[in-house]
Amino acid sequence: MTATSSAALPETIEPAAAPRRWGAPLWVGFLLIALTFLVIYPLLMLLFGALSDSNPVVDGFGNFNPSLEHFTNVLGNENVHYAFLNALAACGGGTVLAVVIGLAFSWIVVRTNTPFKRFIAGASMIPLFVPPLVAGVAWSILGSPKTGLLNTVFKWIGIDFRIDFYSLWGLIIVFGIYYAPYVYMFTASALQNMDPSLEEASEVSGASAFATIFTVTFPLIAPAILAGSLLSFVVMLGIYGVPAALGAPANISVLTTYIFKLTAWAPPLYNTAAAVAILLMMVTAILVWAQQRVLSGKSYATVAGKAFRPRALNLGPWRWFTFSLAVVYLFIVVVLPTVALVIAAFRKFLFIKDFDALFDMKAYGLSHFNSVLDNPLTMLSIWNTLKVGVFTALIGGALAFAIGYTVYRTQVSGRRSIDLLSTIPVAIPGLVVGVAYLWAWIGLPGGLYGTIWILALAFVARFIPDTVKALSTSFMQIHRELEEAAWICGRGLLGTIATIMLPLARPGLVASMTLLFVLAVRELGSSLFLYTSDTTVMAVLLLDYYEGGNVGKTAAFSLIQTLILGVLLGMTNWLSRGAAQSSARVG
Amino acid sequence: MKRRTMLGGLAGAAAGWTLPAAAQDEFGSKDLIAAAEKEGSLTYYTANFAEVEQEVIKAFNKRFPKIKVSMVRAPGGQLITRIKTEAAAGKLAADVVNHSDRGLMVEIADLFQDYTPPNASDYRPDALVSPKFWPGVTLGWSIAYNTQLVKNAPKTWADLTKAEYKDKQIGQVVGPSGGTTWTRIMFERQVMGEDYWKKQAALGIALYPSGAPLSDALVRGEVSIAPLLYNIIYTKIVEGAPAEAIFAPEGVPIIPYADGITKTSKSPNASKLFMNWRLSKEGQAFAIKNLGNITSMKEPPAFPKGWDPKVIKVWVPKFDEFEKLRTSWLDEWNKIYGYRQ
Repeated sequence: MTATSSAALPETIEPAAAPRRWGAPLWVGFLLIALTFLVIYPLLMLLFGALSDSNPVVDGFGNFNPSLEHFTNVLGNENVHYAFLNALAACGGGTVLAVVIGLAFSWIVVRTNTPFKRFIAGASMIPLFVPPLVAGVAWSILGSPKTGLLNTVFKWIGIDFRIDFYSLWGLIIVFGIYYAPYVYMFTASALQNMDPSLEEASEVSGASAFATIFTVTFPLIAPAILAGSLLSFVVMLGIYGVPAALGAPANISVLTTYIFKLTAWAPPLYNTAAAVAILLMMVTAILVWAQQRVLSGKSYATVAGKAFRPRALNLGPWRWFTFSLAVVYLFIVVVLPTVALVIAAFRKFLFIKDFDALFDMKAYGLSHFNSVLDNPLTMLSIWNTLKVGVFTALIGGALAFAIGYTVYRTQVSGRRSIDLLSTIPVAIPGLVVGVAYLWAWIGLPGGLYGTIWILALAFVARFIPDTVKALSTSFMQIHRELEEAAWICGRGLLGTIATIMLPLARPGLVASMTLLFVLAVRELGSSLFLYTSDTTVMAVLLLDYYEGGNVGKTAAFSLIQTLILGVLLGMTNWLSRGAAQSSARVG
Repeated sequence: MKRRTMLGGLAGAAAGWTLPAAAQDEFGSKDLIAAAEKEGSLTYYTANFAEVEQEVIKAFNKRFPKIKVSMVRAPGGQLITRIKTEAAAGKLAADVVNHSDRGLMVEIADLFQDYTPPNASDYRPDALVSPKFWPGVTLGWSIAYNTQLVKNAPKTWADLTKAEYKDKQIGQVVGPSGGTTWTRIMFERQVMGEDYWKKQAALGIALYPSGAPLSDALVRGEVSIAPLLYNIIYTKIVEGAPAEAIFAPEGVPIIPYADGITKTSKSPNASKLFMNWRLSKEGQAFAIKNLGNITSMKEPPAFPKGWDPKVIKVWVPKFDEFEKLRTSWLDEWNKIYGYRQ
């Protein structure tokens, strides 16, 4: 029992290696093989493309003519510099805004006695369901300098002020408000799992509630804040729909719209797109490295073996102020775009001459819904999307848990490589990674191509970083003493995972699987290359409507999609809460 | 025989019988039709708008209800990459491919089989770039405007350089967006003159990445006037949008598509019948009347609204120039219009 007794000393142990000497290398090997298949192999295809002029499937590896031409072209192209700077400005500004909003929200929901918190928490996640293309379209309907609904309203009221969302500021605001839920998801679970005694200690020592927030609360959840902001920044870098709808009219290009041009136009320049994508990956790699530097060597364990209840700060009458802040945010991010989409979906044409024309009921009807529902591809795509979403969430959730546990809770050798491999896909824009998956997997025996599974695998690979990072905060917060207690009681590694880690990390696991499901439902870039006529998905159909110039049908279909997602997520939330309550009763 | 099968058989027989002998020849022989119906399905890859092509499939199925057409749609460049990759892996699922960029299709002509429609001689020779490819779809450029915003509507391409339309009243699809736009801007320079772009750019032009968002912007009133492919704006006009489109007397640049049947097609007869029908007078007339297409037939079976065949001439780019001039002229266009590619 030396291993067990030494496990009581947290600084000196190698916990996972101890219970299974042969198990660890086998396990690490298995994970590395899975990640090689999912990440490295497609990435090699991408590198192959960036470093040559050939398509690896068509021309074969034998015809590989290495050349740095694409890289040098890309680096020397001033339009790439312009797109790169725009992307940094839009995503940087968007991230700052997302952090401010997301953090404020998680604090309001988790740590205060603001009224209707559950409702606020639920509603603030709505932006996450909205495909970026739809968000972009909704805000162009609202914020266009010429025809925007908000400007129409200002004009009617007699205010001389006009807004212009076809600008860098427009991009920053839309990015910020739509990606705040990422920061919220990370920080809310961190705040929930934080022992309030630390804050109480600060207040007992004389610090004000305000000072406590900034000197104790937020610094303690720094990993979650950093992880959330890094993820939202990188996700923004990869978004196409918002800059396509808002940036294009003002001739503002970012890296994704630039890449889309390279891939969609004739002739397609995939090899150049691959070179741009690899530059994007380098930026992300630097950010991830910086994040790890900042966090390394510090302990952020805030969940210990001691029982506690999350503390709710009594704001007194100020709680109505926080409530009204939440209401204003929800109005801007949920009500306004929904109104815009509803108007677009029900109105035959979006030409709105003045404010009064908005209420001309003759201009409204169900024609867009009829034609969307009349389309045989609609039901097929919904069914396929749900299947892919569930497969992706289950496979991806299991894989992310395995990776997260290995990386964050064990000392096995090889875990750093696993961490690195599982972080890489975050940096590859979907539009480019789609072709990498096609190149990589089309030749595999067994008929994977043309099935729902190839889509699910691509989504698992593409979103593994998001899922692992979403889970990581849960893992980092669970103190090792809880696992050690289980070992002392004679549980093996798997028993400990089943009885300690799974139940404690369950809110995080459910949240990250839900996130994965939502991301899979929305994912367009990799779907575009891997779907076939039988496996078409909603995102592809949505792009078809948008590219066909049908804002009305795009809006109608996205309302249907949002409704389906809303119902499903409501059910998941309800089920997981039910399960949590029943396990709490058992505990 | 079960009731449903019997009824189905009768309906099928009725559909077959209703085809007069001449029509049968127009779409293919009796044997071809029987073989196509036996195959019963085909997969259709298209770079055209999905909704438009669905209407085509519906109309085809009115004539031949026993053949199920499954469609895969992707933007032009992505579709080509996909076809190349699938073919290299021996998994090309397409039976028929419909693509707007003839240059790209010629590059992969090896993947396609020889095919000639029954009415081959009805087609303009300048619309054909390979004996394997046929213009099942032909699109043409019109000048569209928002009827609520434009008091004095433009009537010619030359009007689009007038000072009265300055300050981003005119919207345009960017030059490098693909073969269709490249055809139009090539026409502008070759027919309207070397300085046409400069004169127009000086007005201040709102640029859009592709035609569909631009047509939507026109209907919404974001821009008042836009050169648009007629089929993009046509369905909106029919549905009652506040828009109108005209064909200019200096010429209508047209884009004949390149459509072909793959060598690996699992339903070669159904594919032939589908192509024959789309290229037939009936298929072309359907596309002109219902979808806003133009045709590459020498004697069009129908004309779009406002098209006076005595006044309006179609303009087809010379294929060698289409390929040769593309890069250098587009670079110039980007500079003149201030577009960052």
